[in-house]
Order: sequence, then C-alpha cells, then structure tokens
Amino acid sequence: MATLVTTITETLRYKGKLGQWSWVLHRVSGLGVLLFLVLHVIDTSWAAFYPSLYAKAIAEYQSPIFTLGEFALTAAVVYHALNGLRIVIFDFRPEWWHLQQKAAMIVLASTIVLLIPIFGLMFGHVLDYYDTNPDFVTISEIIKTQAQFLLGFVVILAAALLLSLVYALVTGETRNPAKPNRRPSQFDAWMWRFMRLSGVLIVPLVFGHLLMIHLIQGVFDITTVGHTVVGTDLVNDSGRAVEFVGRRWDYLVAGIAIWRIYDGALLALVVIHGFNGLRYVVNDYAHDRVIKRALNWAIAFGAAALIILGFAALLAGVDETAYSIAKDSLETFSQRPTTPFGG
Amino acid sequence: MKVKFRIRRFNPEVDKKPYWGEYTLDNVEPTDRILELLHRVKWEQDGTLTLRRSCAHGVCGSDAVRINGVNKLACKVLVKTLDLKDGGQVQVEPILGLPVVKDLVVDFEPFFDHYRAVMPYFMPATPRPGDGRERRQSPEDRARFDDTTKCILCACCTTSCPSFWASGEYVGPAAIVNAHRFIFDSRDGATQERLNILSEESGVWRCRTIFNCTPACPREIEVTRAIGEVKLAIQRNGR
Repeated sequence: MATLVTTITETLRYKGKLGQWSWVLHRVSGLGVLLFLVLHVIDTSWAAFYPSLYAKAIAEYQSPIFTLGEFALTAAVVYHALNGLRIVIFDFRPEWWHLQQKAAMIVLASTIVLLIPIFGLMFGHVLDYYDTNPDFVTISEIIKTQAQFLLGFVVILAAALLLSLVYALVTGETRNPAKPNRRPSQFDAWMWRFMRLSGVLIVPLVFGHLLMIHLIQGVFDITTVGHTVVGTDLVNDSGRAVEFVGRRWDYLVAGIAIWRIYDGALLALVVIHGFNGLRYVVNDYAHDRVIKRALNWAIAFGAAALIILGFAALLAGVDETAYSIAKDSLETFSQRPTTPFGG
Repeated sequence: MKVKFRIRRFNPEVDKKPYWGEYTLDNVEPTDRILELLHRVKWEQDGTLTLRRSCAHGVCGSDAVRINGVNKLACKVLVKTLDLKDGGQVQVEPILGLPVVKDLVVDFEPFFDHYRAVMPYFMPATPRPGDGRERRQSPEDRARFDDTTKCILCACCTTSCPSFWASGEYVGPAAIVNAHRFIFDSRDGATQERLNILSEESGVWRCRTIFNCTPACPREIEVTRAIGEVKLAIQRNGR
C-alpha cells in the first residue's frame, strides 16, 4: 500500500503530460462508476426480491444528495467511455502514438460538449420534480441505509482477509511479497482483450441506458403515476418503482423481452469489466501476499455474486403481487401526482 | 544570469530523511548545461554533493535525473530550454523507483535485472552462413526495429512510469524496448521466448498507456509505441 501513497504524491509532483492525467481520470472515474454499479445491481435486484426495499432505494435516489451523485456519475461514465475508446485506438494502432495527446484533448473537449446538453436535460427533470414540492428522504435515513452497504463491504473484506490468513497459515507461507509468477499469464492476455472488446460493446449499451433512464425520462419519473415506461408502450399505473421495473422487463417485442436481454448484456459486461479494472488497481498497489490474495478473492466473489444476483432478478422478474406489496408499504414516501405529460 | 538550485540530498550514513539543499549560482549562461551547473555546485559550494556521469555528452546514459519535474539527462538539458527568469529555480532530484545510494545516485541493479530478464542479446534463428559472413537482412527488415536500437539504458523512461513506481516487479519500458529490438529482428530466433517472458504478470500487461515514458526518452525512442507493438505481437501469437 505504501506504493499507492508514493504513486499519488509522485503523480502530482511529476510533470507528466495529458496522458498521465487521462490515466488518473480514467482510474478515478472507473472506480466511481464501479461503486455505484455495485449499489445499483444490488438494489435493482430488490425490485424482484424485496419490493418494499426497492421503493425505499428509489426514494433515496430521488433525494438531492443522490441527484448530485447522478450528475457526477454521468460525467464519469461519459469520460470513461470516451477515454476508453482513445486507449483502445492507440492499443491497436501504436504507430499513431504521436496523436495521443491531441486525442486526449479531444476526449476532454467531447466530454464537456456532451455533458452540456446531458446536464441540461437532467437538470430539467430535477426542476420538474422540485416543482411538485416532494418530500425527500432525510440525510440520516440515507446514511443509515448506505452504512449497511459499507458494513457489507467491510464484512466481505474482513472475511476475505481471514480466509487468506488461514490459507497462509495452512500452507505455511511467509508474508513477503509473492515472487513474480514466472509463467506467461494467459489470463492477463485474455483479460487485456476482454477489457477492450467489452469496453467497446459497453459504450452503446451504457449510453442507451443513460439516455433512457436519465435523459428521456428522469429517475423521478420512475415513480410517476400513469407515466409511460421508457422504451415500452406500457403505463406505470401504480406509480411505484417496482412496477416500472416489472413493466420494462415484461415488455415484449416479437415475443422477446428485449429489455431483460439488454440489461443482462449490460450487467455481465459491465460487472466483469469493472471488477477486472479494480483488480488492476489492487494488483498495482497491494504487495503483501495475504492482503493481495484477500483483495483478489473479494473481487472474484464480488463479481460472481453481483452477476448471479442480477441474473436471478432478471429471470425472476417482478409480478403483480410485488406491485401491490410496494403499494402497501412505505406509504410515508410521497406518491407523486400525475404530471401533465404523464401517460 | 542567476539561478537557484534546489537539489534533493540524502546521505544514508548521516541523514534520517532526504532533504532539499539550496544553492545559488551566479554568471550562469543560457547555453550552460545542467550537468555543468551541478558540477559548479559540487566544485564551488559543496563538495559532498554526489552525482553520476561519465561521457557527459548524452551517450552513456549515466546522469539521468528528474529536472523540474521531468526525467532528463543532465548533460542534455540547456538552461535556456527551462524557460527560467533571472534568479529562477531549477529543481533536481534522483529518478524515482530505484533505491537512492546517495544524493542523485540510484542503484541501477534492479533496473538491469529487468533488462537481463528479456535476454537482450542476439539468439540466431539460423546457423552461421557457410561463407562465414554476416546474416543478411533487407533494409525493410532492418528498419523494423531501428528505433529501439537507440536505447542507452539511462532509465529515464522506466522511472517516469507510474506503473513502475507502483510495483518494481514491472519489467518497465526500457526492458520492453530492448526486447522489442530483438523480437522484431528477422534474424533472431528467440521471439517466442521473449514474448513469453513479457506476457508474465510482471510484463507488458502492467503498461496502462500513460505515455510518460515517450517524452522522457533522451534518445527520442517511441517507447509507448514499442510496448504497444509487443502487446499486439503477444496477442497475435494466438494466445
């Protein structure tokens, strides 16, 4: 971990050019998006398994602090996507290296240009929502919920550390940094390819997702009574978030649940891409054998658990009983009146 | 003109921690090189200042230091290229990622270990020609690796790389450049062995295309490009 501190301070001190700062932004934005992704997959699975908790999660997403987070998240996604394309281009055309600095400028400029209309549209949704004088979930309530996620992360990390320590004791290894593996790492070569392929595939999927859930309609419209669910011709009668998810997943085109397939593809690609990115960061800075193994196990477990959870939710879907459970629970959260443009 | 030097000092026999030594030099010419000025500090002000240099003409690669935040050869940087005002400051510190022996001198052994790991020597693909002469190569084949023959092993690139700062296990740009020189040599027969070494965990996959190495090279080798070509060579090998 000491080299993490060195790398941070020396990256600030070294007069690297834009390439270095692009790398910093790529890591920071990637880690930020991954953090939200974990929360998002877990709470979306609640739409299928704990409808009342899902309603609460969406109510929290509609609070001002998460609205700020939504803007930051969007910026991070847009930057990470465009810079990722830059990385892919120069990886496959290394002879164009002299254009990379210009490309990094273009990435920054395009991020800003794209974010202006995106933020404009998002801000419009915020204003519309605030016009209805909604009740917000209190900060202390949010801290209480998010603390449970934090506790979950800590428990997983602690369990991984414990297991890794037990492994070290059983095999009798020392705590010195592991000797570098002297065999060609087919896994790393394969992941290198996967990161680039998945990255390119994720770009249209994630931009489509942003467009539907954050731009065409806002997070606030998920709970609007009588609002037509985006990407479908179905109406959210109850104005409950679970119904929104259920309608979307049940929407069929030629007998195919297109949004389940879309969400499933996005889920699998993004989770593996994100957790492998985290693995890169961890393996750069964790040198102690026990800690490094623990973190790698936690990452593998996290990725597998999220994919299983997400696909279980996609397969289970949300049925009519869930709509009514959600309707009966949490009456404390304000139900939004029908807006003029709804349904 | 007057120039202020801020030099990172560390004598492991005396000092607990490195510190900055400050020295002011008068009568500095814009055409003076930083190496000459470091000599002036040592000769005129503080004889204990320790630095390494041999040829002093950008060929041997022994005086790599970080000057005003960027890795350079002290013998190749003129004062006028630093955009200094009269009384301006030049900051000189050892390159990062290798153990400091004293002041500006670092231990190159870990760097050379990585260099040796890629087998930076010719391993012929064919037996010696019957006429006892050289193995012939077309100008195009020779041009394929021309750029990476220029390396002088100064470590400017490797010690500018945040991946190397993070983990000294990483073979680093310089070792990959020197592997590139043989991997793309049509006469060499050990391509696969070198690619195998570079696809280890400590190999090319630790490169994040940060591009600090390319401008750091005093020989203007297209370092990141060479690394990229090695990555693609490994990928195309059907692995």
